[in-house]
Order: sequence, then structure tokens, then C-alpha cells
Amino acid sequence: MEAGNPLLDDYVLSLAGRERPRVCFVPTASGDADHYVVRFYRTFASRCEASHVTLFRRERGGGAVEGDLEAHLLQQDVIYVGGGSVVSLLGAWRAHGLDRILKLAWKRGVVLCGLSAGSLCWFQEAVTAFHGAPTVVRGLGLLPHSNCVHYDGEPERREEYRRFVGDGVRPGYAADDGAALHFVGRDLRRVVSSRPRARAFRVEPRDGDVVEDPLPVSYLGDMARDLAVA
Amino acid sequence: MTVRDRLRGGPTILAMGGGGFTMEPDNPALDDFVLSLVDRPEPRVLFLPTASGDPTAHITAFYARYARAASATHLSLFRRHGSARTLADIVLEQDVIYVGGGSMRNLLAIWRAHELDELLVEAWRRGIVLAGLSAGAMCWFAGGVTRSSGPLEVIEGLGLLPGSFTVHADGEPERLPVWLAAVRSGELPGGWAADDGVGLLFRGTRMVRVVSSRPGTAALRADAVGDELVRHRIEPELLGVDPTRPPTPATLPVPDDIRELRELRDMRAAGGLRRI
Repeated sequence: MEAGNPLLDDYVLSLAGRERPRVCFVPTASGDADHYVVRFYRTFASRCEASHVTLFRRERGGGAVEGDLEAHLLQQDVIYVGGGSVVSLLGAWRAHGLDRILKLAWKRGVVLCGLSAGSLCWFQEAVTAFHGAPTVVRGLGLLPHSNCVHYDGEPERREEYRRFVGDGVRPGYAADDGAALHFVGRDLRRVVSSRPRARAFRVEPRDGDVVEDPLPVSYLGDMARDLAVA
Repeated sequence: MTVRDRLRGGPTILAMGGGGFTMEPDNPALDDFVLSLVDRPEPRVLFLPTASGDPTAHITAFYARYARAASATHLSLFRRHGSARTLADIVLEQDVIYVGGGSMRNLLAIWRAHELDELLVEAWRRGIVLAGLSAGAMCWFAGGVTRSSGPLEVIEGLGLLPGSFTVHADGEPERLPVWLAAVRSGELPGGWAADDGVGLLFRGTRMVRVVSSRPGTAALRADAVGDELVRHRIEPELLGVDPTRPPTPATLPVPDDIRELRELRDMRAAGGLRRI
């Protein structure tokens, strides 16, 4: 949902394997912000069967899914989790049983995607910097790694992430804005990006230090151009 | 304990059944009453809009009402504020913490995830006034009645106040029978129901005053005695509006949900709303 840049959205939809995929937006981390829900529909409604889930206004719908959230989410091709606070996200999900439903959806092959808090939440451990200094929180643990986002945007996070991994946080993956880590099962399949210079790293302890190994990144703009030529 | 803490009046909670700046854009009586609970000029007032997901309309309505008379700030648990200050730094320097309405289930779950519940208990102990409406009022009690998951159901609160509390007793009358049944069965302890506009003031865990911003409203006390439900109506003191208070600016934004409710009410009054 980057303004004027559909590359990552196109990539996500390509994973659904269906002409008009069912895509459900979960904006919990933003407090179900109206403007974010509108942006989702503007981006996806013309190309997908788009819906959204609200955990803040369940009593009065507002166009969101009503009734059985589990049945609805398990029918999706893609579940798209928006950004915001990962701590608030996980707290609200656990209170409504969404943590369990999303794990089930993942096991059944629903594509789970998201940015920022919507990326951190799938990992065992995640670096968040919402109030005060960066800290590590436990995510849903579908992916047995750690994760750090906005790696280019906030230099402090980069230092802290490396320090955390040095102090016993499990090894993991860091992504710049615009870079996306695509996992199949628990393993990283590839890294794609919507911006030519976006990078991603494997961060792990080695020989008493913490090393940051750059990962090969496929810029989706080039891939799209190649496809057009072919 | 700081000097500021020692000057405070002991643990204080104002629990409102509804009303205040998010629900009564044209009636500052309850907000004036909140400010009157702090005996100092320009008190520090923090708004926590967590229960409704920090909607911009509530936040702007808060500043429109409080910014002139208080040092007003809000704390978002969804959007970054770019400050390196910890939640403890922010919460414990306040004179008043005002909690908005919304989903009580989300409110408590998100507070607990951030460990803000413990900080609010500490704030209460230090005499920082805790005020709130709807979910932001029920949260302080042993329990209440919520629509957080759609249908009405009983929900447990933080338990600072050892009774139960139910809100919008006149505005959403379907809540009352659910609460009364829970009190009768013992699922909830005895407690209070409050109409929109009605606030119950607690010093420590003792209820000391019932006030209201609207004529014709009331609070209700209900207890289970054996198999019987004993109820009595409590007449509130009707609050006046402070005549020295500057008028509310004409540009005060009206929250979307209030605007929709008003439109519905106007349509009803005009006989234009058809039941489907």
C-alpha cells in the first residue's frame, strides 16, 4: 500500500494463485484507523474480494466482517496485517483469539503478509521501538527467527538489534522499508523489493561478534520490466 | 513520593456512565467537574483513547475542551509519538488521567500488553485522579457489561473498586437487564448503573458523590440479597456550568459516531426513519 507503488501489492496477490483473490485486511495495530481501512480498499477493492476485520467496533460493524471471524479468515487467500504498535496488536489479538485463528490460517496455507508491526508479529522475537528505547517482544512464533523492520529508517534500531542478537535474542532477519521477506514454511524463500536500493540482512552471532550478511534482493521493478519484454 | 504526590487528595476515581467531551460537545459540565477535582491551576491532564483505537476525532475534541484550562496531552498506544520517555514517566507526572470509551476487552488487553495497567494502579495510589466514561469507567471496577465482542456480556475489570458498574443505562437500556441478571446470579458483585451524563465520585473505594450534566438522569444501586435483587435510585447533584469558563469554540469537531447518532435522532424526530 505504498503511494503510487503497487509492486509489493502485486507480488502479494501473485502468491494467491487465483484471478480475483480474497484479501482480508486486519488493521488492529493502528487501532483500526479509518484512513488506513480506506487506503486498503482503494488499493485492493478493484482487484480482489476485499474485506476487513475490526476488533474495536465489533458491536456496530461499519462494513467490517460481522459474526464468525474464524470462518471468514480461514476462507481467505491472503490476510494483510497493517502497521502500528506490535504490542497493542498482540494484546488485542490474544484477547479476541485471533492469534489462534491466524496460526490455523497459516497452517492451512492462507498467505499471511504485513508490514512493520504486521511483519514483526509472525516471528518468535521482534524488535519494537514504540515508547522509549527499543525492546524485544515475543511474537506469534510462526517463524522461529527474530525480525527488525525500518532498518534503513532508524539507525538506533540497527545498533540495538545487533546488540540484542549478541545478548541472546535468536538470529533473524532485518529489512529496510520497501524490502519484503518471503517465507515458505519456516524458511526464507526470497527477498523482493519495491525500491531499487532497499536491502535486507541476515543477522546472527559469529566468532564472538554479530554479523550482518546482506541478502540478495530482487527489485520487483526490474522483474516487471523483464516480464513485459518477454 | 514527590511534593506533587503529597499535595494530592488520596485515591480518586470519577466513573461516568457517559458524557463529557466525547459525547457532549456542547456541555462542558462534567469536564469542568473533572478539573475541579484538582486543586491547582493548569493541572496536567492526560487522555487515554485506547479503548476506541485512538480516533482523531476524540483526540481533537479532548484538546478543544481541555487545552485552555489544563496542560493537556494524550497518549497513543497505536501511533508513535517520537518521544524516548517511558510510559511511567508520562503517566506518573499527571494530575488527571482521562480514559475514553470503546472496547473494554481491547482496553484491558492492550494496557496489560504494555504493562500500563500496573502504572495506572500506581497512579491511583498516588492520588492522580482517574476519570473515564463507558469502558473507561467500568475498567476500574470488579466488572461490568460490554459489547466488545458484539453481543452484551459480563467482563472483568481491574478491580480497584470492589463493586460492578454498568453504563449508558438510559441511552442503551438493553444493558441494564444483563447487568441485573449478573448481579442477581452472583456473576458480578452488587454495584451501580449510571445514565449518560451521570458520574460517580469515589474517594478510596468509597462512593462519596453522584453528579450529572443532564437533568432527569439518575444512578441505580443494585445488590443481591439472598435470591432478591434490592435496588434503589440515587438522585444526582445537577452540575452547573462555570460562568467564568470561556465559551466552547464554534469549530469544535463533532466525532463521527456522535454526528451519526444526531442525524438518526433528527430523522426520527422528523418521522423520516423507517424501520426495516
